[in-house]
Amino acid sequence: MSSSATRPSRSRRRRAFSRGDRLTLGLFVGVPTFLHLLLVWIPAVLTIVLSFTYWTGINFGDIKWAGTANYTNIVTKTPAFYDALRNNVIWLVWFALISTPAGVLLAYQIDRQIRGHRFYQSAYYFPVVLSLAVTGIIWNFMLRSDGFINGIIGRDIDNAISFFGNYDINIYVIMVIASWRHVGYIMLLYLAGLKAIDPTLREAASIDGATEWETFRKVILPAMRPVNIIIVVITIIESLRAFDIIYVIYGTSAGLPILGVLVFQNIAGEGASMKGAAYAVILFVLSIGPIIAYLRQQFREDVS
Amino acid sequence: MHDAQGGKYMSAENPVVRESDLGFRMNRRQLLAGAAGVAGAGALLAACGGGEVGPLTFGARTVDESPTKQLKALVAAYEAKTGNTVTYNATESNAFQNNLSQYLQGTPDDAFQWMAGYRMQFFAQQGLLVDLSDVWDKIGDQYAESYKIASTGLDGKQYFIPQSWYPWGLHFRKSMLADLGIDVDGVYNWDDFLKMLDGMKSKGLVGFAAADKGGWEAMGTFDIINARVNGYQYHVDLMAGREKWTDPRTAKVFEYWEQLVPYMNDNVLDLEWDGAMQLLLQRKAGAMLMGSWFGGNFKEQSDADYEDLWIIPFPEINPEHKRDTIDAPIDGFCAAKNGSNNEGGADFLAFAGDMEGVQAVLDTGVPMTSANKGQDTSTYDAFQKQQLAVMGEAKYITQFLDRDTRPDFAGPVVGPELQNWFKNPKDVNKILESLQSQWDALPPL
Repeated sequence: MSSSATRPSRSRRRRAFSRGDRLTLGLFVGVPTFLHLLLVWIPAVLTIVLSFTYWTGINFGDIKWAGTANYTNIVTKTPAFYDALRNNVIWLVWFALISTPAGVLLAYQIDRQIRGHRFYQSAYYFPVVLSLAVTGIIWNFMLRSDGFINGIIGRDIDNAISFFGNYDINIYVIMVIASWRHVGYIMLLYLAGLKAIDPTLREAASIDGATEWETFRKVILPAMRPVNIIIVVITIIESLRAFDIIYVIYGTSAGLPILGVLVFQNIAGEGASMKGAAYAVILFVLSIGPIIAYLRQQFREDVS
Repeated sequence: MHDAQGGKYMSAENPVVRESDLGFRMNRRQLLAGAAGVAGAGALLAACGGGEVGPLTFGARTVDESPTKQLKALVAAYEAKTGNTVTYNATESNAFQNNLSQYLQGTPDDAFQWMAGYRMQFFAQQGLLVDLSDVWDKIGDQYAESYKIASTGLDGKQYFIPQSWYPWGLHFRKSMLADLGIDVDGVYNWDDFLKMLDGMKSKGLVGFAAADKGGWEAMGTFDIINARVNGYQYHVDLMAGREKWTDPRTAKVFEYWEQLVPYMNDNVLDLEWDGAMQLLLQRKAGAMLMGSWFGGNFKEQSDADYEDLWIIPFPEINPEHKRDTIDAPIDGFCAAKNGSNNEGGADFLAFAGDMEGVQAVLDTGVPMTSANKGQDTSTYDAFQKQQLAVMGEAKYITQFLDRDTRPDFAGPVVGPELQNWFKNPKDVNKILESLQSQWDALPPL
């Protein structure tokens, strides 16, 4: 190996890019960076700034400094915030303990090529093709008071089962609907990961006399680490950003308060106020916090 | 922050609308005079500038069948008269409302459908609406003064062209009442009302069809019970923040409301307004509190269903206030400043407000009680005549809760809290405290 002192060629070679190369690189790196800054980071930073103001969102001249008033208002005066927080937590727990493991289990079963696995695979994956908004429309049609299910069981609008209007159960109804899609999504991600696992690993495990569960826990799961990270992050994000399905079913009313709906409710329409921006910042911190913490811990383990 | 002096009414003599006058007071006589005005007077005024204003776009905030038919007829009549082309864009009502700020700041349609009162004033104040004072100079004599007041922004200029009004009252099907042997004209006060509901309930019917999934439907019930229990002035003052939600008088509203709960369908929070309407349409419910606009939906079913409709004022609760107040919102049009053709928008609205345009809408056969004096009330059908009678009994007119108070309070705060009340009526004190503290936390206007 030659010493590095005699090899400054690395940086020289970089500088030796032709004009065309530089132009291409500039376009390929610069344009997305520019768009990303313009469409994601600048609005995000502006939202954070605006969350400390009073503004109706129309004339720039009307922006008034509010200090932390929007946040105090949310935390001390707005019961809906705690309802929403509770619902988001229930959502997260449900996804983490039920939907995501269910998706993993299905992926595992299908990967073992049980009979009819292709059919199951398509059936479970199908809802993922639909956006959550479309999912909401479909299930709204199924479950509302004058909907399909109530029709099938012969209930009229005056004695219908109130799936969406009974606030004791509606969050579970919504979560089952959301899971209908989420399970398929997780299944597909996991299935892709499982297919990539060297089958000799399994063989080795079974030769060593490991049970199915031990093989999964001690061999497959660690080998699936990159996919696991993605799935954890997706589960957190999907639970916290839940919005569209509820918006489709309840509109801006408070049928099922979750943080995403509160953001929209306070920032859309004539009632626009920067309280909505403050909700958005809270949601942002809640989403990004656990993800950063999780990723840091994972990468630290990787290094050690 | 909230003007304590603003309790004085607006009146014809004093048409300056102050910011604090969140509740519109329209003098009943003026409105009736408007509705009952001499047919056709001034109707043929050449209000329309016509000619060379250029193509324009119109934004409808409805995709429903009947209103679409009306608006398309209006557009067609305008095109036929002026040779000008109008592009018709329709958006579903809730989506349109939620998006309105962005819409008006972006590239809005030149003219669009909107509502009178606070909701118009707010956007006028932000400089997003075209000043329609010139149009009012042309067609103003076709409208009662009260409509002009309701069309006026805080700066004293007009930004709105009224199209129609409708009362909020108790709606029934006459055939059902006949079957039940109920004479609703005899239902005057609260006791009569509860007795009637008892009768309906004993026949296995839902007495009082209710819906609040949309979060706004129940506001009408709150408005009217508050006006009946505490009077018009208290209601207006509460909307403007001059009275407290925590006041025992406000709590009293919910005491009465709670008495209605046993007569309601038990899926209130699962039904939107049209769900409640279905209960009445399908003869599952005896009575429904709603704005009479839904008559058009009945007519879509059949003429017989429409002709079966009846309306009476909400019953008296406190004899001091009789049945002297009613929610009677005005719907109409505005022109958007950021539209590409302001002149065209105004020209179209001049036609829409003129009797010629109104007549084109009436000719569709979709029932409408027009704001224009030119619609002869003698041409009203029986249901419309009864609406007029219901209006006639009221001395004070309010718009509707979400048009009478701050938009950042009505939608995001009052709506959800009323839904919470349906969830558990026993929580009333907690809910009222929350309402008051959220009002107090609102940013200064």
